Amino acid sequence: MSEPEQQTETGSTDEQDESASLLDTHATTDAGANTRVHGDSVVEARNLNVYYGDEQALRDVHLDIYEQEVTAIIGPSGCGKSTFLRCLNRMNDLVDSASVDGQLRFRGTDMYGDRVDPVALRRQIGMVFQQPNPFPKSIYDNVAYGLRVQNEPVTDEIVEDALRRAALWEEVNDQLHTSALELSGGQQQRLCIARAVAVDPDVLLMDEPASALDPIATSKIEDLIEELASEYTVVIVTHNMQQAARISDRTAVFLTGGELVEADDTATIFEDPDDERVEDYITGKFG
Amino acid sequence: MATESETLHQSRRFRLSHIKGKLFEAVLVVATLVGLVALVMLFGFMFVDAVSPGSASAEWYLLFFATLVGPMSAFTLYSRRHPAVRGANARASAAVFGGLALSLAAFVVLRAMSPYGPLTYVITVGGLPLSVVAYGRYTEETYFIGPAVVLATLLAIVWTLGSEVLLSPILDATFELGVQLLGGLPVLGSVPVPVDRGHTVTAIAVGVPTLVAASSLLRRRRSTDRLLVVLAVFALSTAGTTGLNGLLRPYLETVPAWMAYGGVIGTPVIGTLALVVSRRRGLRSGVVAAGAAVVGTALVAVVALTLSVDPRLLVVLSLGVGVPTVYVVGRTVLTDRDGQVGVVGPFVIIGGILLGAYIDQSLSVTGPDTWVTPTLLVESWDGLFPTEAGAYPSTVGSVMIVGLMALMAFPVGTGAAIYLEEYAPDSGWQGKLAGVIELNIANLAGVPSVVYGLLGLALFQNVLDFAPGLVFSASATLGFLILPIVIVSAQEALRSVPDSLREASYGMGASRWQTVRSVVLPEAVPGILTGTILALGRAIGETAPLIVIAVATATSSAPEGLFSSGAALPLRLFSASANFDPAYRTGVVAALAIVLLVLMLTMNAIAIIIRNRYQ
Repeated sequence: MSEPEQQTETGSTDEQDESASLLDTHATTDAGANTRVHGDSVVEARNLNVYYGDEQALRDVHLDIYEQEVTAIIGPSGCGKSTFLRCLNRMNDLVDSASVDGQLRFRGTDMYGDRVDPVALRRQIGMVFQQPNPFPKSIYDNVAYGLRVQNEPVTDEIVEDALRRAALWEEVNDQLHTSALELSGGQQQRLCIARAVAVDPDVLLMDEPASALDPIATSKIEDLIEELASEYTVVIVTHNMQQAARISDRTAVFLTGGELVEADDTATIFEDPDDERVEDYITGKFG
Repeated sequence: MATESETLHQSRRFRLSHIKGKLFEAVLVVATLVGLVALVMLFGFMFVDAVSPGSASAEWYLLFFATLVGPMSAFTLYSRRHPAVRGANARASAAVFGGLALSLAAFVVLRAMSPYGPLTYVITVGGLPLSVVAYGRYTEETYFIGPAVVLATLLAIVWTLGSEVLLSPILDATFELGVQLLGGLPVLGSVPVPVDRGHTVTAIAVGVPTLVAASSLLRRRRSTDRLLVVLAVFALSTAGTTGLNGLLRPYLETVPAWMAYGGVIGTPVIGTLALVVSRRRGLRSGVVAAGAAVVGTALVAVVALTLSVDPRLLVVLSLGVGVPTVYVVGRTVLTDRDGQVGVVGPFVIIGGILLGAYIDQSLSVTGPDTWVTPTLLVESWDGLFPTEAGAYPSTVGSVMIVGLMALMAFPVGTGAAIYLEEYAPDSGWQGKLAGVIELNIANLAGVPSVVYGLLGLALFQNVLDFAPGLVFSASATLGFLILPIVIVSAQEALRSVPDSLREASYGMGASRWQTVRSVVLPEAVPGILTGTILALGRAIGETAPLIVIAVATATSSAPEGLFSSGAALPLRLFSASANFDPAYRTGVVAALAIVLLVLMLTMNAIAIIIRNRYQ
């Protein structure tokens, strides 16, 4: 990774070759029993290191995220999984002490390149947070917010469509102009998803979207994520392993110290992981 | 058993510490009450001095309770059991009394200044932002509205305060400095400097807005719109600086006075009404409502003219009280079935006062021998007798000073707080600078007010060469005084907005400015206003800095403009307290203090109403 500029310019096939060669020397990612056929990779992380001040939060992460798949990121607390997610739409820029090196490419473009506008990037890569955080505005205005800040026209059809895609329309269609804060926690979280899909992003990042919700609301969110995967590329951070097993196509396991230990098809990770530590973590021996 | 009862019963040591605890609590209660009791006693004495309630006859009290206190209490008891009624009552009271206070303040200020100047500004300056917004709505292109309206407002400020008053002293000083510096260099000193001050003013006032408009819009999409907006800004700033104001003014002055009052107060009132109604019920209803307001006010004026009554105050009240009252009452009656009764609340009070006054007049009941008389409220200082004392010019002066101060300090203070909280980085040299600034602001909040008076004296009288004791200088000096308070409280309010909302906004692809404007500020506004309210309360009674910048203790008429000299109520009180006549030192002073307190409470009430609208 000494010449990052060239990297961004090279074609996608070279990219794959090179990443494969790099991956062989590093952990076990992607190598071996890869029975699933993946689409194009939307996001590619290569040698990604993230520091908060002097503390290293991510260590040499290599990961591909493929189109229209649900990629789950699991790992114990403090392993850097949220940090990784926040790198993907440059939310870490908001933290003064955070610094990033290595390569992170979104559809071939270096995300941290000089000419990349983080605001424009976030319009492509939407995010749903751990705590439901609707704006203290009406339901309608919450969904319309993204369109408004992007100077896109807001129509009732777009709002309805976004709410339908978030499986919320039936519950709120008669109270679109009441405050979003009057909804239940699960409804608020689905509203946040509706808000994120209203601007039709390319990738949807979800940071433990169900961890603050009760089991019924959680199962609704999970169904929803599976549906969304047919249209969007979804990256979900969770520390609920059953959830990862249920809804994801691929799983990446981070362990303490910000290290990506293994990333593979979910079935492989849960049934036949290469790395012993992953097996220990999944079977509950630690973490 | 014996051991158990020993452990359960209080030991002597425990009882002692219990008594100590009770004593400590009692001391704390005394500490809480001492200041309050002193203040309540002061207000009590002041009230007795100013109103002398003992001098009223029993009939008067009977009348007072029968027409005002009785009905009010009955209504309060009734509404207490019906929350919907209480809500409707609060809304109606806000419309009636808030409208009344604002209209009266606007009326006295306009009467002092003559309404034609403000009317010119409303038409010429207010037209620019409005036309930009209307054009944006019409073409459904909203991206340029923000920068263009900001520009228009800046322009309005330069224009309103006059390029001569604000810009030329600064330019003069810069010019002088430049010439002196050049003179110091023997070679360059001989070079003639081809600068004409008038041209410089025009060049700056026209060039800066146009350049900013051009640069902020050139990056955007549509070339025709872009060009149009830049051209509009250029044309209007040219027109403004080269004296559209002066051209229009003579024509406007031929309009009858009541129309001028109506134009100045009606434009914002009817504009807001049209906006609110059209947002709720569609464009046509908005136009109809605005039309009804105009026609209603015109009818009031025509009726007044046919009865040969001066319609100025009636027009102002019709717009400032009538329009909001009709809107709120109408809306409540139509939409709020449970709460409709609540709208009579304010009318019970007003009706009670009017009825009481009427009976009082017709039966000539002996009321209290009060010092708070119409003379005090509407006359200027004249005569040697305390009964002839008037505080009208000082009251208007105080209203103008504090009003202008709030208009200046609120945006500046909020802006500084937004920079420090939302923009300034935590680390690096900028972060350190921001830290130093924050520390200094906290210290500035404690600087004695008389020192701010010296700042005002140096800045406005020595550097800018203003006449002593101008309303503008007083406002700006008090503005400097409260700025740190506004900044610190606005920072607190911004800090209390949860980060999760900011993250949500950034995550949606909003820029920092969009996040601040549409997410952070709406959440923080109540807190920011609370700080401003506190600061207003402090500023309205501030006396020392006004003495230093030579504000008059009393004038014979209300200030005619922002750049004429005015008096302030606390100064009037101060001078009355030093009068040789004991009646002045007790009665008039007490009455003035009550006027000052009522003024302060009214201003606070208005600010609280505005704040609650945002919550």
